[in-house]
Amino acid sequence: MSSADTPHVTPARRYLWVLAALLTLLALSAGTAFLKLGPFNSIINLSVSVLKTLLVMAVFMHETGARNLTRLTSALGFIWLAMLLALSLLDFLTRAVLPAPW
Amino acid sequence: MNASTTDLGLHRPAFLQEQFDDPLQQREAATLGMWVFLATEILFFGVLFASYTICRVLYPDGFAAASRHTDMLLGTIETAVLLTSSSLIALGVRAIKLGERRAAVALLLATAVLGSSFLVMHGFEYYREYTEHLVPGIDFLQPGVDARAIELFFCLYYFITGFHSLHVLIGVIVIVGVATRVAHGHFGPRRYTPPELTALYWHLVDIVWIFVYPLIYLVGRSG
Repeated sequence: MSSADTPHVTPARRYLWVLAALLTLLALSAGTAFLKLGPFNSIINLSVSVLKTLLVMAVFMHETGARNLTRLTSALGFIWLAMLLALSLLDFLTRAVLPAPW
Repeated sequence: MNASTTDLGLHRPAFLQEQFDDPLQQREAATLGMWVFLATEILFFGVLFASYTICRVLYPDGFAAASRHTDMLLGTIETAVLLTSSSLIALGVRAIKLGERRAAVALLLATAVLGSSFLVMHGFEYYREYTEHLVPGIDFLQPGVDARAIELFFCLYYFITGFHSLHVLIGVIVIVGVATRVAHGHFGPRRYTPPELTALYWHLVDIVWIFVYPLIYLVGRSG
């Protein structure tokens, strides 16, 4: 019962550090968008997005202190989304354009 | 669980539903339920992102050209605003847990103000795109070979950002409601699950935007 009476709180300083990190990452993706990096522009941008998401989930959404069941459930949406993207792209990236035989 | 006190019904706070042993169990069940809902939200936006991915694979040049029509400066400011609002609501829930009522109300209202400013900025974006004939089905007029791909991009743009803005609007309304209830003393160190779940929702709306930002605003900027 003690955990219900005295709630666990994250130090305010940690939230502010995460905000600083998120804004730095935002500046990084905005800045690199102007560099000619070919496919690496998208790779950097999406990696930054994944990193930001992990920061938000770990600290703001308290996933680091959550129960395993909650963590698993929070990962599920992303896992299903990964399946959706992978299976859709499997089709579009491997579909050969065949000329009409007539 | 402390069986002796729960069986006798002692120390049962009024907000504790009868199917739960104690507030901790009730809160964990509610958090789990919220994450199940958030998973459906991820898939709701997921189909839009999947459509976007397929169209971008098919028309990479058209999507780069279309992305250059969006307002990157406003998009970047909007991202910073949402990220900041996420940290504010996290601090707000923290203040509720610590019993700092005035600080909690101020932080929650600041979150709502940032959310509203996001909506206003998006309104300006939509207006500018309307004047530039970039609204498929209503007023779309673009020259060049990429016109159809640009039209597809903007279709997806309005669906993704439109539904996202709707989520921001719902979030702002719920946050103002929570702030009002905090001000009236409904939530505090012993009961903070509804504000915490509201914050989870707000963070997810933030995460959706974290992916919208590079996919909508940053494509083809170096070209």
